[in-house]
Amino acid sequence: MEPDNPLAAGLAGDRHAPPCVLVVFGASGDLTSRKLMPAVEQLAQRRLLSTSFAVVGVARTEWSDDDFRARMREAVKDAGPEWEHLTSRFRYVAGDYADSATFDTLATVLDELDAELGTAGSRVFYLATVPGVFAGVAKALGDGGLASPGADGGFARLVIEKPFGHDLESARQLDVDLHAVFAEEQIYRIDHYLGKETVQNLLALRFANAIFEPIWNRNYVDHVQITVAESVGVGHRGGFYETAGALRDIVQNHVMQVLALTAMEPPVTIDAQGIRDEKVKALRAIDVLTPDEVADHVVRGQYDAGWVEGEEVVGYRDEEGISDSSVTDTYVAMRLRVDNWRWAGVPFYVRTGKRLPKRLTEVAMQFREVPHLPFPAGLAQGLGANALVLRIQPDEGITLRFGAKVPGQAFEVRSVSMDFSYGAAFLEESPEAYERLLLDAMIGDPTLFIRSDEVEQAWKVCEPILAAFSDPSYPVARYEAGTWGPSAAEDLLERDGRKWRRP
Amino acid sequence: MATAVEGEGAAVLASWSGQSVRVPDVLAALEDVRRSEPLPPTRTSVLTLVLLASEAEEGARAAAALHQLGGRHPARAITVCTEDGEPGLDAEVRLMGAEVSGTSLWFEDLCLTVRGPARHHLDSLLEPFTLAELPMVVWFVDRLPEPDDPLLRAADAVLVDARDLGETTCLATLAELTSSTVLLDLSWVRLRPWREQLAALFDGSDLRPFLHGVRSIEVSGKTGPGHLLAGWLSSRLGVERRFVHLREAEHAGVRIVAEHEGRTGHFEVARPGDERTVRASVSVEGGHSSNSLVVLPEASPAWGVAEALSHLGRDPVYEQSLAAAVSLAGLPHP
Repeated sequence: MEPDNPLAAGLAGDRHAPPCVLVVFGASGDLTSRKLMPAVEQLAQRRLLSTSFAVVGVARTEWSDDDFRARMREAVKDAGPEWEHLTSRFRYVAGDYADSATFDTLATVLDELDAELGTAGSRVFYLATVPGVFAGVAKALGDGGLASPGADGGFARLVIEKPFGHDLESARQLDVDLHAVFAEEQIYRIDHYLGKETVQNLLALRFANAIFEPIWNRNYVDHVQITVAESVGVGHRGGFYETAGALRDIVQNHVMQVLALTAMEPPVTIDAQGIRDEKVKALRAIDVLTPDEVADHVVRGQYDAGWVEGEEVVGYRDEEGISDSSVTDTYVAMRLRVDNWRWAGVPFYVRTGKRLPKRLTEVAMQFREVPHLPFPAGLAQGLGANALVLRIQPDEGITLRFGAKVPGQAFEVRSVSMDFSYGAAFLEESPEAYERLLLDAMIGDPTLFIRSDEVEQAWKVCEPILAAFSDPSYPVARYEAGTWGPSAAEDLLERDGRKWRRP
Repeated sequence: MATAVEGEGAAVLASWSGQSVRVPDVLAALEDVRRSEPLPPTRTSVLTLVLLASEAEEGARAAAALHQLGGRHPARAITVCTEDGEPGLDAEVRLMGAEVSGTSLWFEDLCLTVRGPARHHLDSLLEPFTLAELPMVVWFVDRLPEPDDPLLRAADAVLVDARDLGETTCLATLAELTSSTVLLDLSWVRLRPWREQLAALFDGSDLRPFLHGVRSIEVSGKTGPGHLLAGWLSSRLGVERRFVHLREAEHAGVRIVAEHEGRTGHFEVARPGDERTVRASVSVEGGHSSNSLVVLPEASPAWGVAEALSHLGRDPVYEQSLAAAVSLAGLPHP
């Protein structure tokens, strides 16, 4: 048994990365320079990395160690001298992922770093690549003997990013391929939404407060609205987006994760197993739509030209790389049922889309109306039902809407909002999502990563909708860019006597 | 009279001042300045922070440090200066505004100058100004509190800076305070990067056994922080006083020599010159050697205060380090 480090008491302690090497596949790509390296730099700045830490980049691009170091230095603007020092340890392996020689070279470099830094065979393999190579890289790591934990108590972990498969079948196949090499405990599936403070705060709000949980059920909640809105279009990702669409890109992962955290039962403990067990139970409780039900419950939309944030934008079919007859969903609205004791009869309305008026993600718990309003008619016109809104991005925080008397002689009541702004309440700066998740992967805390059964269950919910969307005759509701979506989405709620929030 | 210095990151939205006033006058002024804002933005409510200074200048300097916190400023800061002279209370009330990440915030800033017997009953004077249900932290800017200071009973935590104590005997006073008070020490906050780097040097499983074979510890630094750092190492590692050597120096630094299985390891954390960096290095006979570099956080008092206020509970590691520092200084335990 390794003796404890008495000097670590009272410091970051178990939130401090152990000695290890971060191996980034796709090191010359956008994700590495835009997200991963700034996150590593932040961790270094916060002194959360071990003194025995290094990064090895792997990619096809013919770079030398020095080229890689220079690029990674450039990737982080305004970094301090510690970044220069840290990057001086970075190594680079150029090679094709299909060539075993690439992995032989990688093994040699890792051995050298173990001897040099004392990293004891501990590695985190981060696949910042296209999903198509996940299985191949995993197999090559296994063939090269790199997937097994080091002999000196080290570890080997694999980090992959969504999408996890293209549908249920391909997701299952990906799991089979990965599990042939890595145990489930070694696999860290990233959905960067889970690294956001406010998503984690959902757990704190629900399970650290006595006042919310008693009303977090069908007795008090009328319905739930989850909105993931983007103001941007597809940009240069048209080719990718044509094969994905909003359902695959956002609903299957981000929305399902947020919904699971909102609907789940209290876990026994806030640890990886406790939380993920409850999340998967919540996902299993979502009533999978039958093919006949999809049309009544799901709206597929696509944006036309319009104005967003003061700028004129083109319609989806006029975007680069998009066909004139594309029926790809840039907007999805749906009504889901969570059939369990807590939520039976409470609709969960979900909407996500591109080219909406602003970028935001929120979960709104809309409470039931009071049973009787004792105020004269006309004096409570500005009063809406209570709502608790969790703003996930931007301006992370919580808003509670409730009724208050308008000052004056009459007893007029109207809704007011009480805002809790995350940034205004805490002295600590929130870590960026990637920073948090990278550190968790190094520490070996999988709580904020997605387990394979969660991925599978989320695909099961999406499967009948994907099947319906694959039929070109399924309606594509048009919406003008810069609006909150097609009128068919309004109708979806109107039929239930409700309407979307205007966030 | 005490005056607050306007700092970066916050602007005065409204103000009021009065001489020889009474507490209800000041409370009314607080209400008035808040009302003067037609649409007050978000109000932060974190704590009440009292700055206690013997000299008006010191108080103003400390208050300026808080203003630099901008939106991370605690909700209500009260600077209190005591003066000789005719009994009376002078007060200045200001509504401060700041913008953080596009969110507008506001907070109140009070400066009180107290003369006469009320100087000895500051707890009763300050109580009406504290925010309900929020902790009160008292920052003793230029002196240490007496153990029987009534403010200690009212405060949830006391903020000090061991660096400013000057004499080692004050370490014993601090140690005594820890028996009844939650003590926050800016010196301890500033030592954190050193402690982290030292702890990280022993992260590797091959290096950790050296922690049990420490042969000598050499600590350099100022009186106060240097003692704290040495006390921390000796208490965490259970190393006897005779193996710990203290040297007066401008910046903190540590060298540890340790043995394991017949091999000697040298572990060092030092600040090269006046650069704001800390270099940590390890070299083991016949083993690996490595070094790392971290940048020290900005030296501003604002940063130190923000860090110190982020945890308002007892810190047993600090308290044990302080007790060990008292021993290292050859002082009797309180």
